[in-house]
Amino acid sequence: MRTFLFKRLPSGLAVLVAASFTVFLMLRLIPGDPATTLAGPDASPATVAAIRERLGLDAPLLSQYLHWLGQVLTGDLGPSYAIGGQVSELIGDGLAATFQLTLAALLLVVVLAVPTALYAASGRRRPLAGALRALTTGALAVPPFVTGVLLVLVFAVGLGLLPAGGHASLFDAPDLAVQYLALPALCLALPSAAILARYLQDGLERALGEDYVRNATALGVSRRRILWRHALPNALPSAVTVLGLQIGQLIAGAVVVERIFAWPGLGQLIEQGVSRRDYPVVQDLLLLVVAGYVAVQLLTDLLYSWLDPRVRWE
Amino acid sequence: MTTLSLPSSAPLLRPRNRYVAGLLTWRGVTGLVLVGVVALAGLLAPWLTDADPDAQGAQALAGPSGAHPLGTDDIGRDLLSRILHGILTDLSIILTAVPAGALIGAALALLAATSRAADLVVQRLFDLVLSFPGLILGLAVTAILGPGRWPVVIIIALAEVPYFGRQLRAGVLVQREREYALAARVGGAGRARVLLRHVLPNAVDPLIVQGAVALSVGVFIEGALSFLGLGVRPPQPTLGSLISGSVAYLDTDPLLAAAPLAVTTALVLGFTLLAEALNRGARS
Repeated sequence: MRTFLFKRLPSGLAVLVAASFTVFLMLRLIPGDPATTLAGPDASPATVAAIRERLGLDAPLLSQYLHWLGQVLTGDLGPSYAIGGQVSELIGDGLAATFQLTLAALLLVVVLAVPTALYAASGRRRPLAGALRALTTGALAVPPFVTGVLLVLVFAVGLGLLPAGGHASLFDAPDLAVQYLALPALCLALPSAAILARYLQDGLERALGEDYVRNATALGVSRRRILWRHALPNALPSAVTVLGLQIGQLIAGAVVVERIFAWPGLGQLIEQGVSRRDYPVVQDLLLLVVAGYVAVQLLTDLLYSWLDPRVRWE
Repeated sequence: MTTLSLPSSAPLLRPRNRYVAGLLTWRGVTGLVLVGVVALAGLLAPWLTDADPDAQGAQALAGPSGAHPLGTDDIGRDLLSRILHGILTDLSIILTAVPAGALIGAALALLAATSRAADLVVQRLFDLVLSFPGLILGLAVTAILGPGRWPVVIIIALAEVPYFGRQLRAGVLVQREREYALAARVGGAGRARVLLRHVLPNAVDPLIVQGAVALSVGVFIEGALSFLGLGVRPPQPTLGSLISGSVAYLDTDPLLAAAPLAVTTALVLGFTLLAEALNRGARS
């Protein structure tokens, strides 16, 4: 806990500050500032200057940066430039949908990967192990947009089982919402599930080769008990770290998956922000994603030390 | 009578042979064939089809025919020609971006080897790039540069820099403690000479595997950006834009999606198999 409080937490915060500064500077390095873009090609210099003043773009860079940090910390992100409305509200609208999607994908990752790894590691000559290996290779090799379109082709167009895209509220129509959620969540989950399954299987196999397993076998402990009580707890900590890193990939991957399945989340918002050069929206969303990523990694570290007592005692 | 016997295997050549041996497994050969066929189809595009990929015809969404072997897209452009030229676009993007990313990453890794302070700065730089998961940094770049071909190249290169850089840095750290490197120093070679002439050639091997992985990641990124409408500008075809353009017609014209999907899958699967084959070869 001390190491966490005094080393990991500050370094996480440092990454966050560095990332926020990078995002801020990048969007200020653009040739032609947002005021010129907003005013349009025929605007007079006076109009541009007025817009610049209204947006606070005439202030020195450092004070703009601090002003932005203040906005972020208070949660009032100010108006968007081009999309219209308050940035906080825009983000709030998309956040719930994206959160649903990533959470469902995360559940799927665990549900798909853990049994796969346990099955593949549980015996040397499992008939399906080779097929599962090939499946994980495939899931990793093929980009999400290919899997996404294939899923739609098979399950929506071919079999007509699930809708090709769209969204329903989880509270108003739960059965419909799950149907809409199934394909995008599966598409988002597959690559991460493949990675987690591989790491966990390798970890389990490594643990099964250790002396304590041979000891337990010699003492007559059953294979099943060895796998669950001896190998799994030792393979779990590194798998949790991998899962933590994969959550970041899920958040980022959601951008494309939301587009394929017309899912009204943050991905759509970030895409609009980028294509319409709405800098406050882009800036705040990028920071939000990095913050989420850093927070997940810190949580992962905490969970790791809880799962692995050797780390706790150091 | 003197017989002159050569050592049966020249030790200097062994690492290279291991990669060749890796390529001669079923993974390597399949990968080579997949990538080779797709790449050749792209490179020979001007000879394989007469149709202009951007020329719009009267027949939109037509099925396969003599004039259009794979049919036409939603505004009557020849699908086969668009796919072949799309391969060409993707290849030219990844073959520019990946070497650029590798060179910048390698240069930074060498810079990191010069001093402790430089190492710290370079490492933090890599960490910073990696703190943006997936495409997120790419979105920031397109927010600045706008969509287009060069932003895609820059995004792919930027995403690959930390991976190449970290791998080379790790290799340099191991190699420079080896006896031959110490011997070179004792022999009077300067730091720069030891690093560039002795350590670097022995540390670049892992980058070969990374290169194969990076090429497939390049196809991923190009496609994802196309899907977001932030990739190469239309009408120039890319594998990603062909797939993303087909989504609206999935239930009426599945061939429009199936053809580019098959080509893209073959290409990325080929790169992945090559990377695995090279990796296994290197570790054997």
